[in-house]
Amino acid sequence: MGWAWLILLLATYPWLLGADLATDMLASIGVITFISGACIIAPCRRLRPIQAVPFAACIGFLFEARRPIPDGTLAITLVAASIFLTANKPLLRNTPRLLRAAIITNTLACIAWCIAVTLALDTPPGVRPATPWVQFILQVSLATILGAAAYLPISMVQNFAMDRIGIPPAADTP
Amino acid sequence: MEQNRRGAQASYVALTIFIAVWIFMPSAVRRLNREAFTEFQAPAMHLVSKSRDLARFWELKSRSSEDMAAAGRDLARVNAALELKLADFEDVRRENKRLRKIDSYTVPADYMSVVARVASRDSSSWWNRIVIRKGRNDGIRPGAPVVFGNSVVGRVAAVHLTTSEVDLVTSPGFRCTAFLEGDEQNRIVLVNGLAGNSLRAPQARISVIPVDYDERVGQVSKVYTTGMGGVFPSHLILGTIDLESQATKPGVSFKEGRLNPVRDLYNLQEVSVLVPLHQNPGEALLDQFQ
Repeated sequence: MGWAWLILLLATYPWLLGADLATDMLASIGVITFISGACIIAPCRRLRPIQAVPFAACIGFLFEARRPIPDGTLAITLVAASIFLTANKPLLRNTPRLLRAAIITNTLACIAWCIAVTLALDTPPGVRPATPWVQFILQVSLATILGAAAYLPISMVQNFAMDRIGIPPAADTP
Repeated sequence: MEQNRRGAQASYVALTIFIAVWIFMPSAVRRLNREAFTEFQAPAMHLVSKSRDLARFWELKSRSSEDMAAAGRDLARVNAALELKLADFEDVRRENKRLRKIDSYTVPADYMSVVARVASRDSSSWWNRIVIRKGRNDGIRPGAPVVFGNSVVGRVAAVHLTTSEVDLVTSPGFRCTAFLEGDEQNRIVLVNGLAGNSLRAPQARISVIPVDYDERVGQVSKVYTTGMGGVFPSHLILGTIDLESQATKPGVSFKEGRLNPVRDLYNLQEVSVLVPLHQNPGEALLDQFQ
């Protein structure tokens, strides 16, 4: 199934839309509900690298599309994570390891886009830029919590979709 | 396992090559990619936003018929039902007032006003944006000012087919020139969005305030657009200056202050986009290069 990743992307998209709606609700306190990192874990366990990589790239591009994040930052981070995870499948052997991977990937991906957007921030000359450390810590902490909280429901939907499109289950001893 | 590792090494090499190609790729390709992913998401954004409107409509409609049923069933509850109905009228009155207010600003002859509903809001330290449900198909162009009544909401940052992204006044990418109320010499100050922290009302910074600018004791001074630069029409309200946070440093000839937007930017439901009828010099220059 060469297009399995695309079907899986469509199955994952409602979660990303849900995260955008949550961001909309939290706009007054200025935090982004970021779950893109957690979305690539379950597919990386079962998909081949050639399928997992475009899936991860699209997840990254979907998040970046409506935000002033430097082009490709998140997509490339998620692609690198997906290559690493598909090459080291023992890291995704059981649920606690999957959960740990979701937390780490979501946190690292969040750090990547936060740093990229901070570096690309356009401040006028002569005006000192504010240091958004509190925001940075808050955003990364939220990403860590969301990575843990969102992984199980997202993976349930993704595994269901992968079962339906006939992707073989992950080996117990990869 | 070993095969996996070897495959991964090849993938890392491919990724490095891709990153190098991506960096040196023409920006048009990257823009096309971004546009494609935005357009992919646009129908979902429209659907969600319109569903929200529909849900609100049915909520109001069902509330009204419930009131009528209650009035018919029990005379003792008539007063309560009427009160609820009055509350409904109050809602309608508020909506009417809000819509009248949005229309109260006389649009300058050089601009065309496009009223758009807000589809979603997105805010962080690094950007404060809203997405509106009007885009290129409705004539909206990048850089067009976005207002509510006679107060500035922001500026259109990116335009897609059916949606547009608006940088709010408090977004770090926003900047414009302004006049301060009470400054009889009409000296120009600079307003730019402030990369602030969460859990605090977003603000913008006002810089280059002359040191001899007098604070008006006990009054809040408004900040107006100058109309220079060709983006914003003149005399629109940007917000009010935060006099308490003004600080004068020794040896510095200018002061700084904070701008508090006059409206709660995250609770707006509709905004007006003032689309210039004629291309401004910046747009003409962009067209020449494209």
